[in-house]
Amino acid sequence: MKHGNTLRAAVCGSAAAAILSAGLFTAAPVLAEDIVLRMAVPDWPPTRIMKDLFDKGYKAKSGNNVTLEPDFIPWPDYYTRLSGSLTSGEKRYNMAVSDSQWLGAFIEGGYYQKLNDAIEADPELQTIMDGLNPALVDAYSTYPHKSKNYYGFPQMPDVLVAYYRSDIFCDAGEAAAFKAKYNADLPCTPEEMNNADWDMVQKFGEFFGRKKGENLSGAALDDDFYGIAYQAGKGYDFSTMQIASMIWQHGGDIWDETKAPTGKAEGVVNSPEAVKGFEHYLSLLQYMPPVVKTGTMDIFKQDELFREGKVAYMINWIGFAESSIDAKTSKVSDKVNFAMAAGLKKSDGSIDRTYNIGGQPFVLMTWNDENTNTEALEFVKWWLSPETQVAFAKAGGQSGLKSVYGDASYNTFRPWNHAFGASISNQQDIWHIPEFFELLVQQQEEFDKAITGQQDAKTALDAIAKFQEELLLEAGHIE
Amino acid sequence: MMKVWVVYPLRVAFASVPAALIVSALAITFLPPSVSFWVSGAVSAFSAFLFVAYAWGRHAGGLLVAPAIALLFCMNIFPLLWSFGLSFFHYRANRLAPPRFAGLHYYEKVLSDPVVWDRLQVTAKMVVLTVSLQMVIGFLLAMLFAKQFPLRRVLLILVLTPMMLSFVAVGAFFRYYYEPTFGLVSQAVRVFTGEPYVLLQSAAGATAGIVFADAWMWSPFVMLLVLAGLVSVPKYLYEAASIDRISHWRRFWSITFPYVRSLLMLALLFRTIEAFKLFDVVFLLTEGGPGTSTETIAVYVYRVSFQYFKTSESAALAYILLFTVIVLTNLYLYFANKRNRT
Repeated sequence: MKHGNTLRAAVCGSAAAAILSAGLFTAAPVLAEDIVLRMAVPDWPPTRIMKDLFDKGYKAKSGNNVTLEPDFIPWPDYYTRLSGSLTSGEKRYNMAVSDSQWLGAFIEGGYYQKLNDAIEADPELQTIMDGLNPALVDAYSTYPHKSKNYYGFPQMPDVLVAYYRSDIFCDAGEAAAFKAKYNADLPCTPEEMNNADWDMVQKFGEFFGRKKGENLSGAALDDDFYGIAYQAGKGYDFSTMQIASMIWQHGGDIWDETKAPTGKAEGVVNSPEAVKGFEHYLSLLQYMPPVVKTGTMDIFKQDELFREGKVAYMINWIGFAESSIDAKTSKVSDKVNFAMAAGLKKSDGSIDRTYNIGGQPFVLMTWNDENTNTEALEFVKWWLSPETQVAFAKAGGQSGLKSVYGDASYNTFRPWNHAFGASISNQQDIWHIPEFFELLVQQQEEFDKAITGQQDAKTALDAIAKFQEELLLEAGHIE
Repeated sequence: MMKVWVVYPLRVAFASVPAALIVSALAITFLPPSVSFWVSGAVSAFSAFLFVAYAWGRHAGGLLVAPAIALLFCMNIFPLLWSFGLSFFHYRANRLAPPRFAGLHYYEKVLSDPVVWDRLQVTAKMVVLTVSLQMVIGFLLAMLFAKQFPLRRVLLILVLTPMMLSFVAVGAFFRYYYEPTFGLVSQAVRVFTGEPYVLLQSAAGATAGIVFADAWMWSPFVMLLVLAGLVSVPKYLYEAASIDRISHWRRFWSITFPYVRSLLMLALLFRTIEAFKLFDVVFLLTEGGPGTSTETIAVYVYRVSFQYFKTSESAALAYILLFTVIVLTNLYLYFANKRNRT
């Protein structure tokens, strides 16, 4: 009986509470919602700056309380961690900063949201898309590549640029010795360095390779010093990005996905021009720090060697530039200058600087609820507004908006910005198909064998062409 | 039902298992995943409840270990069986297409794939080199530490440290150790040759680098096991031997070694299984390079599984490897027991 009473009291009590709270909710005005945008991002300055700008100045127009929660994941693990999260079905992220080449794999998996409807329904987004550099839209947004299906917005566009030591290149003694040896002027200012082609880079390599105890800019070296560095690492795409650029500059090509299903791999990937381009790439490795012989000189190692003051000239992504001019992280912070990356001089005297595009787009996930998705798009609009883009560029990022990077003041924000605007339109991308990683891993392995001296350029490219032809045939990308 | 439950409680519980399986299968086939998940969960829970109800008051011991077994089943055995099942289907974890039955296709593919055989050969080479080096160094260290000498305890702790470090720390450490520009090895060699020393540029050098790093980390483990054997040798045997003026060599073979042998076999077994799965050090030091000359089968499985997302193929490959390790282990145990008996 006692139990019965207790039970009755509990039921009455909870019913009263329910009525009361229901009344409260209906009577209250529409409350601002707490919305969290969970985003997978690689851990490096461009995403750290983004978080910083968001926390300092983002206010949602809807009045909702929106917070950005990025998961900062180290670059080398990023693909595995993101793909692990997406395929596990945990639906942890609403957005991600995705490398452009992963579009195919993750769109086919049903994770990345198609944005055409959102763009069509929103004039602001249309203005943004129209204002972006078309090379970025192609690489970051379209799948199939260069189609009219859009999946991404640029988070940070990136290009390969030349980092060089102004104290060495502008040293009068070195310039005189260089002139005496090559009968050529040693470039000092960025404008002069912009004219450097691969032959000049080869001279830098030969000229600045010095042993411990020898003189450099008038002082005796306490360790060996090296002329040049570019990427030659086995991991991820840490040689492909430079090698593909070199092949394009020599008039060769990679397997072009926009030519599917008739475009072949065999005969294209291993064409005489491609072989020449790759041979050219290999010929410059001898002037680089000895770690290149192990096939582990990736973009991080290069960056480290440059900041340690071991290299005179390097080609690397702009994403690393901020840390190279920061005295806390760089021994050469006050001696760095930037220029456009070297290219191949053509018979008409022009320099071909076709390079592989860097940087990453934002993508939205298919499982976002309506409110979150709306806020995610609002966030994108805020990010790609000229004000935010200018603030981002001032803090060390880059903008893909023509109106922003095309403005004269843009070049004054950071010492490398002049090279960005001039390079951005020369960018191409590799593949976006779901089989991207298989193509990449096998190619990196064959490149690595050539870099470590186990095979020549022709053998490597023949093996790559054969593998790609078979794989692409099997996957139906080649008929 | 009540009467049946009173008369045949265990049989009812057992009968609930196939019933639960059938209901789950039907639910998975006909209902959307979000519903079938809960249906399967509910019938499994009901089946488990019947067993618990039967065991209540009858088998207290069994009930006490049941949570541990249930956890093991959920976290370990079930995923294992699931992946085994996947190896018979066409399935890629990053595609929307549902699994299609493939039979033994992937086993056939894996076993006839020259790349797999190449990676297995690399692995075999690594296993033989690293395990024999660990056995020799571990044994010698154990012989050293079996004796009493000043600072023995401190040195012992130092020697055991590598084993306790994380793989990633060891990988990062050795990467810098071998680095030609800043690295210690290169700096030391340069004192004599004047040239930076690039160990990891050749297949042989990279293999040596990996084997050394792995042996550095795991020789102390062998030492620990052998040391346990050495200290268990009764002193009076040595005393008797010295009275008989037996040579050191003979003393070792007739007294010390028989005591240590079984533990040495155990160390060999553990280390072989572990070395067969060698991944971390390889991935961090060389990523399988130069080319693919140090790409072990474990690294390859990782690539197939998490980079190419060929889920079924990687599952088939993983089960073939598991089978290989089980066969190797049993061969070991067979020979070890045979020797012990003779």
